[in-house]
Amino acid sequence: MLFIKTIKAEKIKLRHSLVWIAFILLPIIPAIMGTFNYLQNKDILTDGWYSLWTQHTLFSCYFFLPVTVGVYCSYLYRLEHVNHNWYRVMTLPVPPIYSYLSKLIIVSSMVVLTQIWIGILFILSGKLCGLTESIPKELIEWLLYGVLGGTVICAIQLCISLVIRSFALPVGIALIGGIGSIPAFSAGYGVMYPYALLGLGMRANAPGGPIQCSIPMYFQNSMIYVGICVVFAYVWMKRKDVFAG
Amino acid sequence: MRALRIEFLKIRYKKIWLIVFSIIIVQGLWQLWAVRKMDANDLVQGWMFCLYQFPVLNTIMMPITAAVVASRLCDVEHKGEMLKLLYTVIPEQKLFFTKFLCGALFMTLATILQVFIIVTIGSIKGFVGSIPMDKMLYYFVFTVLINVTILLIQQLLSLHFKNQMIPITIGLLGSFMGLFSLFFPEGIKRFLIWSYYGVLLLVGMDWNEKTRVTNYYYTSPDWIGFFVVIFVFVAVYALSLVLIKRREI
Repeated sequence: MLFIKTIKAEKIKLRHSLVWIAFILLPIIPAIMGTFNYLQNKDILTDGWYSLWTQHTLFSCYFFLPVTVGVYCSYLYRLEHVNHNWYRVMTLPVPPIYSYLSKLIIVSSMVVLTQIWIGILFILSGKLCGLTESIPKELIEWLLYGVLGGTVICAIQLCISLVIRSFALPVGIALIGGIGSIPAFSAGYGVMYPYALLGLGMRANAPGGPIQCSIPMYFQNSMIYVGICVVFAYVWMKRKDVFAG
Repeated sequence: MRALRIEFLKIRYKKIWLIVFSIIIVQGLWQLWAVRKMDANDLVQGWMFCLYQFPVLNTIMMPITAAVVASRLCDVEHKGEMLKLLYTVIPEQKLFFTKFLCGALFMTLATILQVFIIVTIGSIKGFVGSIPMDKMLYYFVFTVLINVTILLIQQLLSLHFKNQMIPITIGLLGSFMGLFSLFFPEGIKRFLIWSYYGVLLLVGMDWNEKTRVTNYYYTSPDWIGFFVVIFVFVAVYALSLVLIKRREI
């Protein structure tokens, strides 16, 4: 019950915030530009919806979605990092880990909404492009796997934002993490590298085929990373003396 | 000079250099990975390949780097509620210029490191021909100019908005649009400052669809684009001075 209240408190903190700017605008740009690029290169991109999906997601998954999640997480911890709020948070009769977990749930639900928004934009773009074939059935699967991969990035970025008091620095780290997923993916270690799980799950570069690792392994690694982050956050908040300012 | 020293003192534990340095390391590793398998034809085109690749990497990474640097420099004042006090001891314009100079030094250092990486990779891999000094100089000047113009825009936003999510999101959007505009016709590219890394490219690429062979060739510098960036820089700077003077803290 206390945990539910903590989640509600996190929701209240987000009320009237400007986080919707990032949420609404950021997926629109790759959708518009990916569609435009698809239309420009229709003679090469002959695979209909699948080609359009690569145009929408290829750059987003590796560069921009990790950074968007970084922005969400930095924003969620900003309130704690200013106005001596850590002292208040840590003296509340609530286990500190509840704060991390409720943030993880809130930011993951934002990822769910982002994925739904990406899906809607994809369908709209396809219709506007005049794609007559039916919408790929795998779309739901790509988006769901994207939620799981996104949640892993959320867990890591929340840990980074918990430790680093700056808003911008964790965003920069998210950028480096996202870029790092390209060599990890090319070397065949995508499933081992947490930032690559998003692109791997969303089939950003191979939407027509199966996921490029076993599904149990994908789930197992995602859960391991989330688990490590939760343990880290627990230990950090338990052991580390807060510094508020 | 004293104001600049104070600016560096404020950020001495903020490790701004670390994020800039990390981005350059990532770019260097990316480039090393890209040149790992080069045949004789690739080595002939090695310098051109690097001068083509780095602006593309810059389009993705530098706007966000500039946003992070500007945010780190300005957020320190927001967090400490320092602007009201600071403006009583230093004119707004001077503080703005000092912060900009501080950020610009980081962005210039990043470009120097990039040139160093290109030259080092070229020497290690044995690119054919001597270092194209004129192209390197153009690359350095153009990249620094675009970097500092984007930094200026970001600094104006970071100083204006207390909530750093807004400038960071705008930086991210710019990076997004810049990257995608690389695939767009020339006319559209020129409307976005973030796409000028691509507009001021010194190398063109010709990809043969049938043979799948890529050939690079030097192009003459786009001086119109260069002056457009200078104009944007001057206009944004003038606008910044007016806005920060008028803004109530």
